[in-house]
Amino acid sequence: MAVPPAKQGGAAHRERLKAERKAERRNRRYRRGLRWSPYAFIAPFFLCFTAFGLFPLLYTGWTSLHHVSLNDPTAMEWDGLHNYTRLLEDEFFWNALRNTFTIGVISTVPQLLMALGVAQLLNYRLRGSTFFRVVMLTPYATSVAAATLVFVLLFGRDYGMVNWALGQVGIDSIDWQNGKWSSQIAVSSIVIWRWTGYNALIYLAAMQAVPNDLYESAALDGASRWQQFIHVTIPSLRPTIQFTVVVSTIGATQLFGEPLLFGGAGGQKGGASHQFQTLGLYMYEQGWINFHLGRAAAIAWTMFLILLVIFPLYLAVIWALRKNPGEKAT
Amino acid sequence: MRMKSHTSHRAVALTAVVALGAVLLAGCADDSDTPGSRSSGGTNGKGKITVTIGVFGVFGYKQAGLYDEYERLNPGVTIKETSIERLDQYYPQLLTHLGTGSGMQDIQALEVGNISEIVNRHSDQFVDLGKAQGVDKNSFVPWKWAQATTASGRTVGLGTDIGPIAICYRKDLFKKAGLPTDPEKVGKLWTGDWQKYVNAGKAYMANAPQGTTFVDAAGGVYNAVISGSVERYYDKDGKLIYKDSPAVKEAWNLAMDVIEGKMTAKLKQFDQTWDQAYANGRFATVSCPPWMLGYIKEKAGTKAEDQWGIASAPKPANWGGSFLSVPEAVKNKDEAIKLATWLTAPEQQAKLFQKQGSFPSSQAAYELPEVASAKHDFFDDAPIGEIFTDAAKDIPTLVIGEKDQIIQNTITDVGILQVEQQGKTPDQGWAAAVKDIDNALDQ
Amino acid sequence: MTGKATAAQQRVTPRRVGNAQRLDGQLSGGRITYAVLILFTTGSLFPLVWTAIAASRTNTRLAETPPPFWFGGRIFANLETAWSDGNMGLALLNTTTVAATISVGTVLFSTIAGFAFAKLRFRLKNVLLMLTIATMMVPPQLAVVPLFMLVAQLEWTNQLQAVILPTLVSAFGVFFMRQYLTEALPTELIEAARVDGVSSLRMLWHVVFPAARPAMAVLAMLTFVQAWNDFFWPIIALTQDNPTVQVALTGLGRGYIPDQSVIMAGALLGTLPLLLAFTLFGKQIVGGIMRGAVKG
Repeated sequence: MAVPPAKQGGAAHRERLKAERKAERRNRRYRRGLRWSPYAFIAPFFLCFTAFGLFPLLYTGWTSLHHVSLNDPTAMEWDGLHNYTRLLEDEFFWNALRNTFTIGVISTVPQLLMALGVAQLLNYRLRGSTFFRVVMLTPYATSVAAATLVFVLLFGRDYGMVNWALGQVGIDSIDWQNGKWSSQIAVSSIVIWRWTGYNALIYLAAMQAVPNDLYESAALDGASRWQQFIHVTIPSLRPTIQFTVVVSTIGATQLFGEPLLFGGAGGQKGGASHQFQTLGLYMYEQGWINFHLGRAAAIAWTMFLILLVIFPLYLAVIWALRKNPGEKAT
Repeated sequence: MRMKSHTSHRAVALTAVVALGAVLLAGCADDSDTPGSRSSGGTNGKGKITVTIGVFGVFGYKQAGLYDEYERLNPGVTIKETSIERLDQYYPQLLTHLGTGSGMQDIQALEVGNISEIVNRHSDQFVDLGKAQGVDKNSFVPWKWAQATTASGRTVGLGTDIGPIAICYRKDLFKKAGLPTDPEKVGKLWTGDWQKYVNAGKAYMANAPQGTTFVDAAGGVYNAVISGSVERYYDKDGKLIYKDSPAVKEAWNLAMDVIEGKMTAKLKQFDQTWDQAYANGRFATVSCPPWMLGYIKEKAGTKAEDQWGIASAPKPANWGGSFLSVPEAVKNKDEAIKLATWLTAPEQQAKLFQKQGSFPSSQAAYELPEVASAKHDFFDDAPIGEIFTDAAKDIPTLVIGEKDQIIQNTITDVGILQVEQQGKTPDQGWAAAVKDIDNALDQ
Repeated sequence: MTGKATAAQQRVTPRRVGNAQRLDGQLSGGRITYAVLILFTTGSLFPLVWTAIAASRTNTRLAETPPPFWFGGRIFANLETAWSDGNMGLALLNTTTVAATISVGTVLFSTIAGFAFAKLRFRLKNVLLMLTIATMMVPPQLAVVPLFMLVAQLEWTNQLQAVILPTLVSAFGVFFMRQYLTEALPTELIEAARVDGVSSLRMLWHVVFPAARPAMAVLAMLTFVQAWNDFFWPIIALTQDNPTVQVALTGLGRGYIPDQSVIMAGALLGTLPLLLAFTLFGKQIVGGIMRGAVKG
């Protein structure tokens, strides 16, 4: 653009202004695009989600404030907070809460640690890695009916293989189902068996995304495999570890299938003394066996509230860990 | 929002929304081209009719060839059976469907444990089969008919099978323990009194073959005793009386005697370990309705062939049985009523007993040769027709209340098991059961 | 929740793809690694193998002790019984349709929404994310009642969309993808694409999807299995006229005489196609999990 020299200074200034304005306009348009596109990204998810995810959540909450029977699920009688206050005095509920907590701890912690270890091994260059990775998922894919039979055979009191093995080393038979701790350990072992490979696969996917150069520079610094694992792999996996911890916690809170199948006929009671009745089982018993839908909904929402209490605690722990030095070994 | 000239970004964003929205709506919209029949049965336009029937477990109609026979007799009718193995999945599903008036089968089976609830709360949602053409009230045993009939006289279910109780016992074990083995003599050991049965158990245990016990489970004894009563958990007016019902007390005390005398194998019926105990011959007696015979044959295996005998029980009692009902909300009501009537008629019930071992609830069927002269080869050709017809004769009309099933299961699975398997005292077991039942029944 | 700037900068450097010489990039497994993995594999496979053994025996044999440890000769008879009793042909077709639709839908929606939650700024973002995670906390055993009311209203009873749609959008998937992309997709890449004026759709295609590929593969697998094995809801929504495999299997009992060997044969029928699919496509699925998938 040729500019008359006489007005050079001023014109140049004007030009510059014009250009700036243009840039700013483009920028603003661009920002508007930025502002709207996220909604476009989440809209499809949230459309169906509202109907099939949110509606049941809120409806369950609404149900928990009513007296409702499965005999007539549409007839609701306003009951205020009665379902909740009743739970506070319900020793079966407290028992289930305790069991959920203990089974949750003894199943989740080993499960996630094992999953992390297995994922690390699978991340090495291996022969038959595809085979190993597919087999990882078989416990999760095996039908519950089949798994039941197998574990009943393993933990049987009279003819179980576990007791037979204990007998070989001179330990008396254990009545797995009837002892409080033995039954909870048995249930936890089913949980661990079913979910370890599942979590390992999730970790593996995240490990694949860790850039090689991080390992390379760590190796150059003379870090051993173990040090690389601690200083490179774990920090890079943090969001995924958070994810598995959250999901496993939710899963542990809602634990249902494994204790039900371990209990055999009438398994919703979780044993004669409710020794392995979890919140999930108690909710099922109240809702689907005794038909107290309102009460079952209150148990469900209590689980929900418990999780809402637990997660901020998690966040606090994560925050504390975050402050730790040793982020990177580079 | 100021609407200005649009940018490529926004255009893209909008396009994305529209495109994905379209995909989604296509997904969310009801545009599937599967021939979705809402009520599952219906005509398909060629005058052909499909009647659907929902059962739990296996009723054996298909296996006994009754569907094929009906389809032959009624050209243009096809029968489709849907079966859910577990009652505790089947019944809540049925209630959910009833509550929304959608998803029912043309015929729905009902278990005896749930019939009272259906009669009390849902009778208006089912067709009154008592007035259906071809249904003869008098062909059924009276108490069976009464169980499915409301106070106002509507009959919502037609009886299929019943479960008169006998005692199955191991002849070989009885012999080793010095007890008689002839069914006649064995029955005489305890005729008329369950206490005598427990006494026989004491005699057995005195010389019991190594590793065997007299019964499989104390809960089984409790169940057999209580099933022969008139009022157990509710009285005739529907009032809850289980805490001080004499019948419950008697059955409970007998079960406690059995535990105290170490006569039980401490098993839970229908669990895997129970099956294994059958296979290993671990216990000598079990209360057995006709439907249990096939189970014993299957689990005890060929090596126990002809070792099991069948003797009469101390007192007549009934365990199990079902009904067929037709919901009001289904499309094929008339066809469904016709089929349900036919399936529960004496001739078909007799055939079902012959093929599947479900004992008829139709007393008219007892005269028929399929029942009267039936024998069971696994049980040393025991005349089962005769035995169970006898056992069915004097079964009292048991008052069943709405929550009978829950009370019964809690007493056996909590109360008795705590004493039997966890070493609690009888008082502790009873208190635990009561607490549990009160919690379940509390409105 | 993004990483530290130093780490991020490192990550923008173009990644070397497989064939580059690595100092110590992907370590090879040693003997102990193999030993541990084989032990783990055996434990994982045992119940499945035992399912097959049980399916090849008679019901009576299964009650005996010790239980059978090797195959018997009744496998085909039992499979045939399970097949004909269970309406299996239609069930397999239905389940394949359902599981495939759910997997594709879930992976697609979850990746897009997860990306938005991970990398874009917008109002109410955290609230919406919390809401999403919150719905995971409703026990499925209870959600069936309101869901069935909805399905009955829509007149979808016994139609496949009743099973597909409620699970098509999974909070689990969105959360999973968000966590994965937080770390795996460098923010600088997004910024750079923005500066170049790349459109949103092209960015999805050329930047987000390649970065998310390993997680997409895993999510697809997990979702497929989950959809395949789900039965609590399908059993309420469908009947055996139009069943999924799990619904068909619920009818395999023998009433008062549960025939374990046939149930096991049914379980095998229900699980085998799944494993077959993984074995056949495992290479592709797992192959999708490769290092350095991001094409910058």
